[in-house]
Amino acid sequence: MPPEKEVAIEMVNISKVYPDGVLALDKVSLTIYKGEIHGILGENGAGKTTLMRILYGNIKPTGGKIKVFGKEVSFGSSKDAIKIGIGMVHQHPSLVPVFTALENIYLGLPSNFKEQVSLKELIERTGIKVPLEERIEDVSLGIAQKVEILKVLYRGAEILILDEPTTNMTVEEVKEFFSTLRNLKKMGKTIIFISHKLKEVLDITDNITVLRRGKVSGSLPTSQATPEELAKLMVGREVFLKLEKQGSRPGEKILRVEDLWVKRNDGSWAVKGVSFEVRYGEIFGIAGVEGNGQSELIEAITGLRRAERGKVFFKGENVTNAHPLKLYTMGLAHIPEDRQKTGLILDMSVAENSILGIHRKRDFLRPMMIFNENKIKEHVERLIQQYEIVVSKINAPARSLSGGNQQKVVVGREFSKTPDLIIASQPTRGLDVGATEYIRSLLLKMRNNGKAVLLMSSDIDEVMGLSDRVAVIYEGEFMGISETSSVSEKEIGMMMGGYKMGEIGIK
Amino acid sequence: MDEAMLLSILLQTAYASTPLLLSSTGEILSERAGIVNIGLEGIMLLSGFVGVVVGQETLNPLLGILAGIGAGALVGLIHGMITAYMKGDHVISGLGINLFALGFVPYGIYAVWGVRGYFNPSDQAKVPKVFGVSPIFIASLVLVPLIYYILFKTRFGLSLRACGEDPHSADASGVRVERMQLLASVIGASFSGLAGVFMSLDWLTTITKDLPAGRGFIALAIVNFANWNPLLGLLGSYVFGFSWVAIEWLKISALKQVIPVTLLNTIPYLVTLAVTAGALGRSRPPKYAGVPYKKE
Ligand SMILES: Nc1ncnc2c1ncn2[C@@H]1O[C@H](COP(=O)(O)OP(=O)(O)O)[C@@H](O)[C@H]1O
Ligand SMILES: [Mg+2]
Repeated sequence: MPPEKEVAIEMVNISKVYPDGVLALDKVSLTIYKGEIHGILGENGAGKTTLMRILYGNIKPTGGKIKVFGKEVSFGSSKDAIKIGIGMVHQHPSLVPVFTALENIYLGLPSNFKEQVSLKELIERTGIKVPLEERIEDVSLGIAQKVEILKVLYRGAEILILDEPTTNMTVEEVKEFFSTLRNLKKMGKTIIFISHKLKEVLDITDNITVLRRGKVSGSLPTSQATPEELAKLMVGREVFLKLEKQGSRPGEKILRVEDLWVKRNDGSWAVKGVSFEVRYGEIFGIAGVEGNGQSELIEAITGLRRAERGKVFFKGENVTNAHPLKLYTMGLAHIPEDRQKTGLILDMSVAENSILGIHRKRDFLRPMMIFNENKIKEHVERLIQQYEIVVSKINAPARSLSGGNQQKVVVGREFSKTPDLIIASQPTRGLDVGATEYIRSLLLKMRNNGKAVLLMSSDIDEVMGLSDRVAVIYEGEFMGISETSSVSEKEIGMMMGGYKMGEIGIK
Repeated sequence: MDEAMLLSILLQTAYASTPLLLSSTGEILSERAGIVNIGLEGIMLLSGFVGVVVGQETLNPLLGILAGIGAGALVGLIHGMITAYMKGDHVISGLGINLFALGFVPYGIYAVWGVRGYFNPSDQAKVPKVFGVSPIFIASLVLVPLIYYILFKTRFGLSLRACGEDPHSADASGVRVERMQLLASVIGASFSGLAGVFMSLDWLTTITKDLPAGRGFIALAIVNFANWNPLLGLLGSYVFGFSWVAIEWLKISALKQVIPVTLLNTIPYLVTLAVTAGALGRSRPPKYAGVPYKKE
């Protein structure tokens, strides 16, 4: 018999009802062993954060028991949890941007704090190297996450809770981050890794607990898990990870971009002479590591940023630097990259946001240009129903919606413009499996109906899975354009790293 | 210009600058923690009044000073309770302080001494000079570097600044945000309190409703100009103080036949405005200054 693994955490029948009556957790039980990386997987709203905040002493459970290293505990506040060695890195960064890494690590230490190991030694042992004297606002998200982890470890954490740490990290950053986690595991730390990304959980964890709607829907060793099964446990039904795609029947050109040059805000060139075309009935994908000019490219095409040189033709008409309103009336819709900054006005209601940009339409107006509230209500309710947007009331501010639901408002609104070309930038970023699948299927449906889609995404799987043709952008230039069926993921990856298509033997 | 005159100009500059310096330093501390108090003018007035009442009653200037500081602290406590704990609007609370002081002090002067307009404390109530200069002026020169040191070189200062920059992160790191903000509001306001008694019991030795004469608002501008840094606040305060004194001299000179006095009076404000506007471009306020911190 193999030696019994030591149990680090045992949560038994944990329930949580929030003051507003939401049953966030319903008798959740879970066991986490010392020295493992334990994945908690679940869609947005499944209760992952709630469960962890209970373990961290941040909020009190309505019922249930928690044992840490065999001893039953009851936390008054997270200070008690920290005392016995539990640390949490929250979903939203909790570092002060204008402070240096070092200042952030020291911030808020209790006055009677005694360090177990010096910071220097800690950095040496863990191999987590961060520029201590740099301000957080000047470092990448990946580094900021490491600073948070150092901060938690410095306070003596043996058990580390990481709530969706990879949101907003680039592929490279995730890779490096995972090697840090493996290192910590070697040192005997117990890590709880929360995510809604199947791939990451499969990659880094030893055991997985899946939550769905506040209940444990499955619990299994990672070695026995498959993506399909995990997805099913998360969503509660079969999910088609591979989208069903019929062959494309591309038609006429709808969008043509000729030698486009675009600048960044700081005046440097973001896009350096990009040319391509999108045809009716196809999805044209633009892949690339974030920050390689794709955002500026899309902004220039959609009239949000000046094109310095080059031309854009839409339906044969020269629309270079045209106003977004003109583009919209010509049949172009845009799902912007940043739903919070560009896609929505967060302090305005869901109803108001649902007609942004189409508010001039006769349908929504009474004579004298006064809004017809009933028509707007009908419109937003149709969107809510069709896109399954979870919202308390249509007059709630968009800010109060979860990220996935905010995105659905944007997507629904843009699709309601019945465009001929939809430009979708990072349309599923930060969304759970269910919402992602739905939005992807909408894009495919557009294409199958003979309309065109220009898809920009840094998620290779997404670009490869959806696009008929794909271009890879690197430092403002296309490394190549190819039929998706004739290039491999690896080749795309190499192009994303700056190899031209000719150099890697594809023609 | 002889030596005595030079010395006199220097001293006048110092005195004209001291209330601005004290008040702006306190406000810098307060705003660094996230609490904006536009009621500095009102605090100066109230504290100036309370200082004279207590100093005159006890004929003990030290008690007068302490009472003035205490009055400032009390106002800071109320403002802090309203803004930090009850999440009230910083500007409205500060406005309330100013309005209250303007209404209360003229009435108080009449109620206590039975006179209208102003009251001059007797000589025993006035703050005695130390080495020929005002002890409060000396104290201000010690306090400012001290506040700078606390803000930027101590762990306490780090926690305080975190509350004004990013209270959510401060909270998550274990800083008790509301308590810290209340404390900063109390300390900050007591500085304006000290500025008030400096004027009423030391420099001008009188109490009228016009005692602060806009200095509370100039102090607010200096906070900005100084980029929330007490050492730059020292510079800003003395720029204003000096130009104010210079104008007073110009008024006595022949120039006043050429330029109307009222126009001359505006010059220190213009100088400060110019300096402030010049600096505003690069100033960077604490991100959460004046924003009520609500836990999610
Ligand atoms: N502070 C809160 N008050 C009321 N309901 C909440 C609160 N936090 C979360 N919820 C609700 O509890 C459920 C679980 O949320 P959460 O734990 O954040 O899920 P996850 O982290 O898996 O996305 C959701 O329905 C959410 O709306
Ligand atoms: Mg969460």
